[in-house]
Amino acid sequence: MNWTNWTGWISTFFTDPARRSGPDSIANRVGEHLTLCGEALFWSALLAIPLGLLIGYTGRGAVAVTALTGVARALPTLGLVTLAVLLAGVGDTAVLVPLIALAAPPLLVATVEGIRGTDPDLRDAARGIGLTHRQVLCQVCLPAALPTLIAGLRTATVQVIATATVAAYVGLGGLGRYVIDGLATRNFPSTVGGALLVVLLAVAAQLFFSLLLRYGLPPGLRAQRAASRRSGGTRR
Amino acid sequence: MIRFDGAAKRHPDGTVAVAGLDLEVPAGRITVLVGPSGCGKTTILRMVNRMVEPTSGRVLLDDTDVTRLPAAKLRRGIGYVIQQAGLFPHRRVIDNIATVPYLLGWERKKARARAAELLELVGLAPETAKRYPFQLSGGQQQRVGVARALAADPPVLLMDEPFSAVDPVVRAGLQEELLRLQGELNKTVLFVTHDIEEAVRLGDQVVVLREHGLIAQLADPHTLLTAPADESVAAFLGRDRGLRGLGLRSAAGVAVRPLTDTSQYGSWDLTREAEGRPANWLAPDGSTHPAPAFHPGTDTLRTALDAAVLSVAGLAVAVGPDGRAVGTADRAAVLAALADDRDRPVSTHGR
Repeated sequence: MNWTNWTGWISTFFTDPARRSGPDSIANRVGEHLTLCGEALFWSALLAIPLGLLIGYTGRGAVAVTALTGVARALPTLGLVTLAVLLAGVGDTAVLVPLIALAAPPLLVATVEGIRGTDPDLRDAARGIGLTHRQVLCQVCLPAALPTLIAGLRTATVQVIATATVAAYVGLGGLGRYVIDGLATRNFPSTVGGALLVVLLAVAAQLFFSLLLRYGLPPGLRAQRAASRRSGGTRR
Repeated sequence: MIRFDGAAKRHPDGTVAVAGLDLEVPAGRITVLVGPSGCGKTTILRMVNRMVEPTSGRVLLDDTDVTRLPAAKLRRGIGYVIQQAGLFPHRRVIDNIATVPYLLGWERKKARARAAELLELVGLAPETAKRYPFQLSGGQQQRVGVARALAADPPVLLMDEPFSAVDPVVRAGLQEELLRLQGELNKTVLFVTHDIEEAVRLGDQVVVLREHGLIAQLADPHTLLTAPADESVAAFLGRDRGLRGLGLRSAAGVAVRPLTDTSQYGSWDLTREAEGRPANWLAPDGSTHPAPAFHPGTDTLRTALDAAVLSVAGLAVAVGPDGRAVGTADRAAVLAALADDRDRPVSTHGR
């Protein structure tokens, strides 16, 4: 086996006409991959963010969240996929459940931490001038939590993009097809090319959220974030 | 008017924050709650807007029990200023000030117009409107905090150590500004501080508290300084309360000799700037020394005495409203004014 032939493999992979059109094309596989990731993130957010808002605001159950996320992180994704296939049969659900189990905990933690990190004086002042609990949560705590929340979303997204390759194990599409089919047929260009694409996608996602954090926040929050970073603050 | 009717706060663990307070806070005046930390003054203040619910007794706002109204609705009708300003970091100054009008459902345009008015009222430049809180100094943030509290024109203003976190010079400016505002607006102000100096300066009535929110003395500042109720109040007022009492009396009674009368100058000579402002005391050897001044119309006896004590020539320079020197007063003249004025307290607030 020639270990030095990476560039050869990569060029073989990218010049194959099958990569340009048809079901095995890069565009199609990336599309499948992103759709799957998007679905997983959507359901994770729907589950984790409202729960995180509630727990973060009331402060009740924060300990349980820490414990739960520790456990969730220890779950082997591949094992979960197998279990989900056994329970739900081959299909989207079999992949979505493990991906949600992967993405929801960091989102939940980020939401809880972000809300809990709101300056207590600020919350007090907001209550004192006549905001209702709902208004304090939406108008004060949520904006304050936004940087932490986006950082959590970044972590979840990168992990989901990397892990969504397991979809191929249960016969679904996505970039995992290249990797797993390549391994099965000893087609190394396919494995290496697929892995490279996953890495590129993950890096792109990381970059996107980092830019969003840096330039996309409302000015007041951006400055606060910079200030807390400078002073070595605990806010992430 | 705010009335505390046996209002008490006991924590679930049995500790007593406020044992039971009977107090009237008169309308249109500044009432200052002052006392050492842990005396329950903040708890008392927060009972008014239901940030703390009394465990027994009542708090009445214009003869209505505050618990009758939903908390959020009650609070929108009461201005609230806290130590750290508590401004929303993600909102511009103008929208911070307009917070309560927005909550009350005002149109955006009307709320912002009102906020712009208040920005001017608290002495901030119009361009401040577009800034974010982090771009302001501590003193400016407090001004915005006051403007926000006043936005919906509430009759009552609660101020919880609003000026404690800024440096002394800025604090003095903010205190002066509050007195000026109060002169225009006549709000019912309940003000909490641990700084007796601030209490005496701002209060029409000062409530000195000891632990568990018990009233040690309730008096106007002059009475408080000259006739403390007991040893503990006297100790809290500090040793130089007599001198500080001078800060409540006008310097108008000081006999000022005109500039033409140089009989007291001795070997000193007063130099003036081109516009007539006092510059320096000139010694025979040609060295110059500062010439402390006071303004008889607006300054207090404390300032006049201070100027006379500090002056190397033993003479305080009296200046007119335009800052021009109009005359001098020696230490004896200031002391004579002290004696004359003893039974005639004059509030610096002019009220």
